[in-house]
Amino acid sequence: MAFVDLKDIRVSYDTKQDVLKDLNLSINKGELVSLLGPSGCGKTTTLRVIAGLIEPNDGEFNVDEENLTKVPVHKRNFGMVFQSYALFPHLTIFENVAFGLKMRKENKTIIKNKVMQMLEVTGLAEFSNRYPKQLSGGQRQRVALARALVIEPKLLLLDEPLSNLDAKLRISMRMEIKRIQRSLGITTVFVTHDQEECFSISDKVAVMNNGVIEQFDSPEEIYAFPKTEFVARFIGFENFITLNKLGEESYLAEDGSKFYSTAKTISNADKVKGTIRPDDIQIIENSENLDNTLSGEALVRTFLGKSYQYEVKTALGHLLVNDESLRTYQTGEQVTLYLNPAKLILV
Amino acid sequence: MLNRKIPYIFVTPGLILLVVFLILPLVSIIWPTFYDGAFTFSNYAAFFDSSFNINIMWRTVKISLIVTLWTIVLGLPTAYYIAKANRKWRSLLMGLVLFPLLTNSVVRSFAWINLLGTNGVVNRILLAVGFIDEPIKMLYTEFAITIGSVYLFLPLMITTLVGILENIDEEMIEAAETLGANPWLAFIKVVLPLSIPGVLVGSTLVFTGTLTAYTTPQLLGGNQNMMMSTFLYQNAMTLGNWQQSGVIALIMIATTIIVMNLFNGIARVLDRRGGDLNA
Amino acid sequence: MRKNNSLKLIVIPVFIFLFLPLFIIIVTSFGEKPTIQFPIEGFTLDWYANVFRVGGFLDSFWLSLRIAILATLLALLVGIPAAYAISRYKFPGRQVLKQFFLSPTIIPGVVVGFSLFQFIVITMQIPLFTGLLLGHFIISLPYIIRVVGSSLEQLDVSLEEASWTLGCTKQETFFKVVLPNISSGIYASFMLAFINSFNNIPVSQFLTGPGLTALPTTLMSYIEYNYNPTVSALSVMLMLLTIGLMVLIEKTLGLASIS
Repeated sequence: MAFVDLKDIRVSYDTKQDVLKDLNLSINKGELVSLLGPSGCGKTTTLRVIAGLIEPNDGEFNVDEENLTKVPVHKRNFGMVFQSYALFPHLTIFENVAFGLKMRKENKTIIKNKVMQMLEVTGLAEFSNRYPKQLSGGQRQRVALARALVIEPKLLLLDEPLSNLDAKLRISMRMEIKRIQRSLGITTVFVTHDQEECFSISDKVAVMNNGVIEQFDSPEEIYAFPKTEFVARFIGFENFITLNKLGEESYLAEDGSKFYSTAKTISNADKVKGTIRPDDIQIIENSENLDNTLSGEALVRTFLGKSYQYEVKTALGHLLVNDESLRTYQTGEQVTLYLNPAKLILV
Repeated sequence: MLNRKIPYIFVTPGLILLVVFLILPLVSIIWPTFYDGAFTFSNYAAFFDSSFNINIMWRTVKISLIVTLWTIVLGLPTAYYIAKANRKWRSLLMGLVLFPLLTNSVVRSFAWINLLGTNGVVNRILLAVGFIDEPIKMLYTEFAITIGSVYLFLPLMITTLVGILENIDEEMIEAAETLGANPWLAFIKVVLPLSIPGVLVGSTLVFTGTLTAYTTPQLLGGNQNMMMSTFLYQNAMTLGNWQQSGVIALIMIATTIIVMNLFNGIARVLDRRGGDLNA
Repeated sequence: MRKNNSLKLIVIPVFIFLFLPLFIIIVTSFGEKPTIQFPIEGFTLDWYANVFRVGGFLDSFWLSLRIAILATLLALLVGIPAAYAISRYKFPGRQVLKQFFLSPTIIPGVVVGFSLFQFIVITMQIPLFTGLLLGHFIISLPYIIRVVGSSLEQLDVSLEEASWTLGCTKQETFFKVVLPNISSGIYASFMLAFINSFNNIPVSQFLTGPGLTALPTTLMSYIEYNYNPTVSALSVMLMLLTIGLMVLIEKTLGLASIS
């Protein structure tokens, strides 16, 4: 069994729809796993089930081979960083960070040492006697992190910890979190709606939608080979064409043109959607009626810096194409598009 | 140019009305207590010299204190329960608390006459059960005033506290729990300290309210147990003793202001540490 | 949440404490005996009829109603412009002025009543009704200043500025843009002030005379000499009035706005 195991978890509020249904997730020791998805997808609920703040209606939750499903929050020993940081305004930074250790009735000297060391590591030592309201957003975030880590928890749980910070701080803080996670080797679950943030630091990502995990893979795998239309759209695939299965690996589009894909695909369905990134469509010289080609009319051209982006009207729909050749095509001009089969993903 | 004058035009009517019909009357009753040909404190000296008067003052302060403490003890858990209840329950419970608050205080004090009188509900139950042989005198006692005042001001304390407690972020309590505090410890270490400002606001209202209330002491205390307000009324309307009434009036105002500043001061000292934190 | 269940140990008794006395009043209003009893013997509505016959309750009710409406309207008339001036214009002394307008809340009710009686009725010989009206106006004003003031604070100034750029004068803007957007605040403060005036005792207690006694005052003197279920019946009617007002407030504003 993996270090963290969620089995067939079901959560529903007020007997309406299920917020989470048949959720299964396995996390290995020392991994940083992210739960990624739009608001309402269930990622925060999943995190709260792990934390023990929500008791699932069905299912089992194990950590290190121990069944923790019914164990109350305050006995689980997981460090949690909340989106609002939830620092205690009436306590100093020192007292905030020491809180968990006090609850464990540790000896005063030990507490002092552990807290001061943690404050040193997180660069907060000079603030130990200040109050949360005297600190900046970034500093408060580090206090929240310090408070969760000082108790040497089994798991570190982070609920959108960076969403209240400005862009630059977000980037530096996420690297900080990754660095600390690596050096402590602590198993971490990270909830976010920001794809770039998630992909940059995670070992594995669970993309969630409507209470279900649509894909659980490494960021590289998800980026190159999304398994469902939802995941593809979520990570930036713009172009979708409907294809019907023709032979082993070939498909027929609605306008009769033939397409094949050499990208990894698990789709055995008769009807699939082919999706491809704008970068992977080429504008080529006149078609020799090859497979994977399409002709269309250029509608709008925008300049992206390293390429021009064209909205092209084709028989299969409007497609977005990035052309690095910097040869400008005019509105109304006919172009031929080649969809790289290695990059044509079938979902 | 007219622009500059507008605010003054808007506030002047109110200003004039308040000065003429609040300040002036107050001055007219208080001034004579200090000045009758010459500036003098003799009226106040005489007032504080009388043990009868001191008793009344002491009774007023004592009862106000007891009432405040009781409303905190009963009100804080209730307000916390309401603040953490789900939306439907919360509006229902708040409505229930609001109802007595908006009901006339004569009615609310009358309710206790029914309960505490010699033939009242409490006595009849105690007699029927055999706890006592004769009815206990509960009406027209300090006890009656106290319980009547608690009854009067408890809803006020509850509504004040609910407002404050609602603002305590749920995540803070959850954070405490993830750090190992069981629900009770989380309440004591996080919620309680953060609710102190609210408790102080509520206490100010309840304390000064009980201090100056008229109906409850009048109906439930009678002439044997006067509080400052009923004492004032007696001096003014029954005895026609304007001087004494003015003295009492000023003492009441002064006490109210002192108490309010005291509570505000305490709140400010505590606020330096806690206060409003929105990350 | 688990902890909520142990809180119920305190919460339920508290609610019983709050409502049992009122429940007892309701029950006693139907008893047949001429003294207040609980539990009751027999059932009659006579006491309710009695309310209309006896003690001048009807007259007092009308008086209290008239005073409450007039005083509150006057408070609105004076208070709304004042609140507007205080919130929108940065003139020197405006915070002091605001505290001054709120000052009647610091003065004990009996003191207000007494001083008004002394000054207005005795010294200035102003008729009692006017005195009563002024007294209730004074205690109502703070509600307007506070509630309307807070509504104004929450109203974005850019709304008025946008209106000016679109050609409206300041007066027109006040009536067309500001007032509609603070209407719930105005309404809430009206209800609060009205209820407070209607229920007020200290001020009314002093400013009382033949044919001119407010309802709470009449009721209080009645209780001191007549301890019979008529009091219960009137109490029930007053409670119904309160419920009616609360329903009205809930339907229009939601009770949250006044709590």
